Amino acid sequence: MGDREFMLHKFPAVIGVGRTKFGEHYEKDHEKLVEESWLKASDAAGIERKDLDAGYFSDYFLQITNKVGIEEGFLSELSELHIPMEKMRSFSSALLNACHAVQSGKYNLVLVGGVEKMTDRWDKIRDDLMLLEDPWSYYAGCTPEANHELMLREYIKKHKISGETLEKFNTALAQIAVKNHQHATKNKYAQFQKEIDVDRVLKARATAHKPLGLFDFAPVSDGAAALILASSEVAQTYTDMPVYVVGSSSATDYITFPSRDERTGFTASRIAMKNALKRAGISIRDIQITELYDQSTLLEMISLEDLGFAKRGNAWLDIYNSCKDYEGFYEINGQKLFVNTNGGLKADGNPLGATGGAQIFEVVKQLRGEASERQVEADGNLWFGCTLELEGFGTKAYTHILRRD
Amino acid sequence: MSSEPIERRVSYIGDRLRGSLCGVCGKEYFRARDYCGSCGRKSFGKMKDRDFFYEKGMLEVCTFINEPTNKFTKLGSYIYGIVSFHNGKVRVPGRLTDSILKEDEIDLSSFEDREVVPRFRRRHAVEQSDIIPTISLAFTFADEYYPHQKHEIVKPKKEYKTPGIVGYGAYVPKFRIKEKTIERSVPFIDEDAITTAVEAGKMALIHSGVDPSLVGKVYVGSESNPYAVKPIAAKVAQVLKLGKEEQTDGVQSVDAIDTEFACKAATSMFKDAAALAYYPGAHTPYAMVIGTDNSQAAPRDELGGELDFFVGCGASAFIFGMHDVIAELEGWYSCTSDTPDFWRRDLEPYPRHGGRFTGEPAYFKHVVKAAKGLMERLKLQVNDVNYFVSHQPNLRFPVKAATELGFKEDQYMPGLKVANFGNTYSGASPMGLAAVLDKAKPDERIVIVSYGSGAGSDAYSLITTSQIKEKRRRQKFTVQHQAENEHREYVDYITYRRFKLGF
Repeated sequence: MGDREFMLHKFPAVIGVGRTKFGEHYEKDHEKLVEESWLKASDAAGIERKDLDAGYFSDYFLQITNKVGIEEGFLSELSELHIPMEKMRSFSSALLNACHAVQSGKYNLVLVGGVEKMTDRWDKIRDDLMLLEDPWSYYAGCTPEANHELMLREYIKKHKISGETLEKFNTALAQIAVKNHQHATKNKYAQFQKEIDVDRVLKARATAHKPLGLFDFAPVSDGAAALILASSEVAQTYTDMPVYVVGSSSATDYITFPSRDERTGFTASRIAMKNALKRAGISIRDIQITELYDQSTLLEMISLEDLGFAKRGNAWLDIYNSCKDYEGFYEINGQKLFVNTNGGLKADGNPLGATGGAQIFEVVKQLRGEASERQVEADGNLWFGCTLELEGFGTKAYTHILRRD
Repeated sequence: MSSEPIERRVSYIGDRLRGSLCGVCGKEYFRARDYCGSCGRKSFGKMKDRDFFYEKGMLEVCTFINEPTNKFTKLGSYIYGIVSFHNGKVRVPGRLTDSILKEDEIDLSSFEDREVVPRFRRRHAVEQSDIIPTISLAFTFADEYYPHQKHEIVKPKKEYKTPGIVGYGAYVPKFRIKEKTIERSVPFIDEDAITTAVEAGKMALIHSGVDPSLVGKVYVGSESNPYAVKPIAAKVAQVLKLGKEEQTDGVQSVDAIDTEFACKAATSMFKDAAALAYYPGAHTPYAMVIGTDNSQAAPRDELGGELDFFVGCGASAFIFGMHDVIAELEGWYSCTSDTPDFWRRDLEPYPRHGGRFTGEPAYFKHVVKAAKGLMERLKLQVNDVNYFVSHQPNLRFPVKAATELGFKEDQYMPGLKVANFGNTYSGASPMGLAAVLDKAKPDERIVIVSYGSGAGSDAYSLITTSQIKEKRRRQKFTVQHQAENEHREYVDYITYRRFKLGF
């Protein structure tokens, strides 16, 4: 690691993370949630508010759900700071932009935060989500779940999965939900901290006569997450355990899902990961832990292929074999891969603008060995982790590769 | 959709499924664009218009939706998926329409890899006061009720001295309600008098082979326009691209107008359309007349509810011109009196009627007078007429009127379709005419007498030409096909009321 350690000096580092519990926060507005996660991150990093040079925030559609206009103004008032602040749609996007700014030398200490308040508009939220995600599909009658199901149909057709194999495939997807719920039982911030079993997942599908059912999809959530990002020099002054963001990348794809060339995976995910790995100067096999964007069980499986962990058409089988006797990780190509140890979007929750923050939170905690009950047992040292976050149905993909000092 | 500019743009593209074809590499797009993504700047000015309105597609993959977004809740459950055109050159999202799913028998693979036809429908539910959004990203299977038919423009061969019908089309929804002796057509929940008008017009264009850009005027007669103010004809003109398309402005060079006179709103315009085509100064080679109604009736237990036993839904369209005429317009006679036998006040959802007085002093008086007036004017005897068609609000009235006039069963039965479709109001006597045109041989005389409450009748005499036989093979979606198709589906009274009410 000698060369790389030298290289770390050019990367920004996460020096503190914080988050709220995800779920329904009926009594708390978005500001309260931001404040809570922010204070936790600042406390963890040991910084003072006044040390901050800038803030990068994210919310996907607070403007629609909560009629919040200029979020930065609320945050300025909350912090009594007048620093530059910018707002993105996803936490990963905010982090990416914060990284660019720190790496350019412009800022030394930056707050990255994300929030969403989805339950305030629970009765209209599926229309909002679908219209934003893909308007023409919405006009044709699509739902936020339907695109996942179409991708599933495309996948089983492309890979000619039928009969008994299809049953196994369906079980594998169910196991993803079961596994994520199991992980979440050890996560005090998770929205669902209870176990489910494969039968329950399958039954929900059968009752609805659908390829994916209630337990295949991430819930609607409220929540916030935050982290403090520092230049490598500044990071050293605050902590002995900085976690470096060694590779970040993003890519885009067409908004209308049916018009995409690739419909059994996300082109954007594939490209973003390839570029992030290149930047980090590592191979996919160096990554031992990952937080994937399991908006549905299918998407966790597909992402294993998109990012290059599993071979095309094979991820479900890797999952199936790993989950027969689940030991806390997937075994893919003879290697341990810890996936969604916080419970994933499925069980941890999915407050869009904050979701990516929970992913980074988890990987940072794991890399620092601070994940207590959830702490994974890697073969050898745990050096690298990565996150994948999507906006829309794979319209944008963000990948971050993190490395501990 | 609450924004009217957004609605204008979405329906402009979506109603017709407008797209583009790159003249350089042949790549196709749904939604018009000025350059090709692969070819870049060199494709500027080389993109050709493409639309998928008359195409057939393939439902590649699909899923079952039983918890729609709020706007689609009224559909209950439906199949949604990806439809490809031209062997996968273009893919669009789409839902299957005209289908009532049985939830315990959903096998997605039974829907996939089947040919589908785009259908022009209401897009989704809106508030009562909103603009009605429409789209053609709704599909039905090509091997079921509604076949795929190519739209080919045929160069006319012959100019006639007398104007007449050049082509026609009829459209009746797939759903039916059957009570006692009468079967009636029921719209699917996303249909209304606008969508049925477009369907009938589309069928008339397919049958006639007329270049739509030469249609200079379109009349749409209806008494169930879902708007009190806003013409159906404008939608018809834009979706069917009637008149020359002025692309830069997104307008059609066509005069489009809605007409209203209860059930004679369409037939009244036959003579106007024919006269317009006849007058050289009008520069209107063709004019289209559509009668369309999602016939309104109060529920059975309310005042005016008697109509609920008879109303249907459907439309028929006729293109008038001087070229390749299939039935020449020999003459006409109209009569009118201020007889208030049936009416609907503004803001009232359902019409009221004069009960027993809708018969003798209303229907019979005007129908018989118009028929006699026409026959006297043209010096016709009963035996000179091969087919007699009259307005058909029920089975009894038209039979009684025909008998009174001296016509026999073989003269009036071919044009009597009320027992198949119910009373399609403005589309009713035209539907009978369409049924007769489907069957008539060359050189036969058809007399059609409409009746519109309020009240008046138009009587026309048409004489078929030799071209009626040649053109017949262009139309698969005949009146008989629609009356007898094995894929028509029966619904109960509750479903019928729900569907009729619409989105």
